[in-house]
Amino acid sequence: MNMDFAVWFIFLSPLLASPIALVAGMKKIRLAGIISTASIAISFILSGYVFLTIGSTTINQSYSWFANLSYGVYVDHLALVMVLMVSFVSLMIHLFATYYMKEDPKKHVYFAETALFTSAMLGVVLSSNLVIFFLFWEIVGLCSYLLIGFWYFKPNAASAAKKAFIVTRVGDMSLIIGLAIIYASLSATASDPLSIPYLIQNAPQVAAIMGSGKLALATILILGGAVGKSAQFPLHVWIPDAMEGPTTVSALIHAATMVTAGVYLIARIYPLFTASAYYSLYAVAFVGAFTAIYAGTLAWVMNDIKRVLAYSTISQIGYMMAALGIIGIVGSAGIGPAGVSLAIYQLVVHAFFKALLFLSAGAILIALMDLRDLREMGGLWRRMPWTVTLLFIGAITLSGIPPAAGFFSKGAIVDASWAYYVSSGYNLANALPWVFLTFGEFFTAFYTFRMFSMVALGKPRSYLAEHSRDPPKYVLIPLMALAVLALSFGLFQTSFYRYLDASYAAFTEPLMEEILVYGLIAVGVLLGLFVGTANRWKKLDSTSNRAYRVLKKKYYLDKLFTNIIAVRGILPLSSAFSGFEDRYNSANETFGQDVTRMGSALRKLQTGIIENYFIVIVLVAALVFLVVEIIGGAI
Amino acid sequence: MIILGIFIWVLISAFIAFLAKNRSSAFSRISTLITLAAILIYSVLRFSSGYTGGFLSQSNIALSPSLGIYFSIGVSGFADSLLILTGIIFAAAVFVTDKKQYPPSMFLLILLTEAGMLGLLISRNFLFFYVFWELVLIPVYFILGKFGGPRKDRVSLKFFVYTHIASIFMLLSIFALYSYYDLQYGVLTFQMDLLLSAMQNPAFTATLPLIAKDFILFGFVFSFLVKLPSFPVHAWLADSYEQAPYPGTIILAGALSAMGGYGLFGILFPFGGLIGTAGLDILVVLGLISVSYFALTAMFQQSLKRMMAYASAASMGFVTLAFASAFLDPVKSENALIAASGGMFQVATHGIIMLLVFASIYYILVKTGSDRIPSLGGIYRDAPFLSTILLGGLLASLGLPGLAGFIGEFSIIVGSYQVIGYWIFLLIFGMLITASYHIWAAQKALYGPYNEKLGKISDITGAPLAMLIIVFTVILVLGIFPVLFFGPIQAYAHGILFGGII
Repeated sequence: MNMDFAVWFIFLSPLLASPIALVAGMKKIRLAGIISTASIAISFILSGYVFLTIGSTTINQSYSWFANLSYGVYVDHLALVMVLMVSFVSLMIHLFATYYMKEDPKKHVYFAETALFTSAMLGVVLSSNLVIFFLFWEIVGLCSYLLIGFWYFKPNAASAAKKAFIVTRVGDMSLIIGLAIIYASLSATASDPLSIPYLIQNAPQVAAIMGSGKLALATILILGGAVGKSAQFPLHVWIPDAMEGPTTVSALIHAATMVTAGVYLIARIYPLFTASAYYSLYAVAFVGAFTAIYAGTLAWVMNDIKRVLAYSTISQIGYMMAALGIIGIVGSAGIGPAGVSLAIYQLVVHAFFKALLFLSAGAILIALMDLRDLREMGGLWRRMPWTVTLLFIGAITLSGIPPAAGFFSKGAIVDASWAYYVSSGYNLANALPWVFLTFGEFFTAFYTFRMFSMVALGKPRSYLAEHSRDPPKYVLIPLMALAVLALSFGLFQTSFYRYLDASYAAFTEPLMEEILVYGLIAVGVLLGLFVGTANRWKKLDSTSNRAYRVLKKKYYLDKLFTNIIAVRGILPLSSAFSGFEDRYNSANETFGQDVTRMGSALRKLQTGIIENYFIVIVLVAALVFLVVEIIGGAI
Repeated sequence: MIILGIFIWVLISAFIAFLAKNRSSAFSRISTLITLAAILIYSVLRFSSGYTGGFLSQSNIALSPSLGIYFSIGVSGFADSLLILTGIIFAAAVFVTDKKQYPPSMFLLILLTEAGMLGLLISRNFLFFYVFWELVLIPVYFILGKFGGPRKDRVSLKFFVYTHIASIFMLLSIFALYSYYDLQYGVLTFQMDLLLSAMQNPAFTATLPLIAKDFILFGFVFSFLVKLPSFPVHAWLADSYEQAPYPGTIILAGALSAMGGYGLFGILFPFGGLIGTAGLDILVVLGLISVSYFALTAMFQQSLKRMMAYASAASMGFVTLAFASAFLDPVKSENALIAASGGMFQVATHGIIMLLVFASIYYILVKTGSDRIPSLGGIYRDAPFLSTILLGGLLASLGLPGLAGFIGEFSIIVGSYQVIGYWIFLLIFGMLITASYHIWAAQKALYGPYNEKLGKISDITGAPLAMLIIVFTVILVLGIFPVLFFGPIQAYAHGILFGGII
């Protein structure tokens, strides 16, 4: 088989399957799930084939699209790792979705959309040009909009979909400005200014042409796009609301097909970040580190199982961003893996355990008739042993407890942030990423085990929880596959780093710092278990405890966006403009009437509007000749 | 000569349609489809390969050589994309004209408008250009005034007066140019190629009094800006779109808005640089204001029709911006080229997008009895196809990549950045507002709980559904293979910007 053909079909297969699934599903609804799952299985097999045959080469094919922009595929080890992860995780989610969505009357629409969603994400990963990248990026956004609002009749779902679209659109617009700056500055020298291989192979020259300050501005704007898509502070507000969609959609968005796109964007054009002025990497590092701790605190008080997971995603993506920024600043020499390997390893591990967590949450929600409130659960471990065990595996991986893979992926990032602090000569300001990330680990362990104990331990707190049962075992096979990977992927840590970065060398880990981190994680787990099982949290409510209220209101950020910026800012502006417009319109109308009143004197000679019109034309022609005469005479 | 044949065919079929009485609807449908097919065949024959800018199919029929009046025609790559657009728009406009509701004269008026549109796109003589420019306006005025909504009298009058004042300025410019050419060279001519190359010739423009040169430029620019429309000469827009019957709205938004764009890029483009930095700066500002101002105004509208009228004006702001920044770019580089080509692409595709949006709003009105956002709600439940297609139209209109609207906007943004600098944030703000109200309208009208006051509604089926799907497919194809239009357009723009070809 031809490798080029295989690469193109990695994303073309689900893309073509999407309309076929839709049309076939209208005739026979069962077909839709089979077609789209099979198409993603094909993507996975093709990715595996390319992985085995590519060796150390890269594939770069591009063809002219329009003007001096091109389309095509660019495959290196980074892209390959991503397509393997995306197609595998998406395949597992699709397999589970055939069970989860089995009774939905619009199942065919769902599967057509998820196939398109996966295809768009694979397209993002493989594109060789930032314009095509942006095209697929926006299709990812569109699919998330459609899928979050899949249960369109729920007002919450419709408004969550709208919020997701608009908030990510803010980031996309920032990205578009970044692209415009790069394009406009390079169009004179480069034949294809937005080509990804060109930009990453010639990053120093690009910086020299543009000036590193301007490049930093462009990369910071591109970071804005990544912040929107990857739900980083302050554009993370769409993702907790997005939980209104089907749980399998949440799994797709969080693990495989959407939020990782932002991290991948930065990893993809990482040389541009390192070549630009230092502050663009600082922006990446601080956005990531701050988000890691910020979202961690919010997850403390959520009582909706899916929202806890949503905030954990925001926080875990923060680790990836922080890894990219920190290693970019200090360089990986003597510290460990390169920034991209560090972040992408965390990304892949996160995809495994987050898909696992969401799918097991989905299995629980089916058993509980979509009851998402943690306060109504409890004691599920005894009633749904298989599902909750899988949830437990997800939880320990999320918290970074050995031997699960999260221990290796996040530990390395916290180490890097410590090395960053050390290398800056113990400058206190540069300790911030380390402090954020370390306490982020503590918070993660805390909220994860608070959630887990509220789900699994104690006594059932509702009728539904008392009568919940495991789904059929075969349904859980995809989850088991993910669980095995979440547990064992730590074994491949070194080879993973080496695959992405050939120059990777082993390094010594800072022992004292690590002991502190693991101590904090252990405390977090115990505290979480205690808070989850104790009854004290029931008495906490937003009216009595001020700190609790601030967290419950999400630091009032949603209020700022909705009530202040949108309702008090944009809407009055729009109202004022519209009011002015109406006045202006009617003023023009009065003016028009004045003109006709002038013309009505002439109307006595002729009747009807056509004649009137001809008179105007004749008069004007006379006027023209007059003007021409006067001006002509002046020459 | 194929193209002249097409023009004459449309002109004749307008009268046949009128005389065909109760068969006029069927005849017009067939006639416009034949026109569209002929235009497509013509485009494939002439523009599919080997086009490198300039005008094809040129021919002259001498009417009065002593006065310089020739019926002369020629088609550029840009005009060709607008010919295709015209063919599509009018085929669809005739299609949505309900024969039970309108007398045969409606079909006469629509086909006459089409003849005017085709005529002005192929004319290479200023006198005929002007005649066709007027020929478009008069039937539209009657469509508005006879078949419009409750406020049709006032609104059609406003439309009429507004657009005619603009046309008169253009006429003045044409006559001034005509006379100065005569003064300089002793030849009376309305031929565009002669007059336009004279305007490009510094030896000629140096002989013009400064005020005369500015007057000529102002006449053209003003008339085209009114037609686009651009802020602040847009007051005819929203009322006309709203009060016009749906076929009329489709013609206004689809075809007539392209007239202004064609004026800027088809007529004024060779000597746009003469406008001078100050004038071009004003155009940039008008473009930027148009994008944000119309977006904010649209956000507050309750009627889908009125909202999309402002959305249409907002995307025309990009065209003004593209035009001005192509000349303001100091090095006239790739940036100028992509901005100008993007502007033309925007003109051509905007019409098709508006067609899809207004046609689906029309079917929503037919099915539910309302086209106001508050009185709809949740109609996706009973009309999934119709809702999905309207959503597709809205997404295209907000510039979603993969659909045609993106290509033009993206080209203009990247091409004009060098000129507008950080004002790009204002542009992006406008785009963000645009995205917001499109999505907001979709959420309110299509999703959420079903509005039970609507009673029982049905989805579209059969021919209307097929028509909408075809239009959507065209938008999708142009979004994925933009080069179908972009290739000829870019060749044309390249010829003028770098080659001095007229």
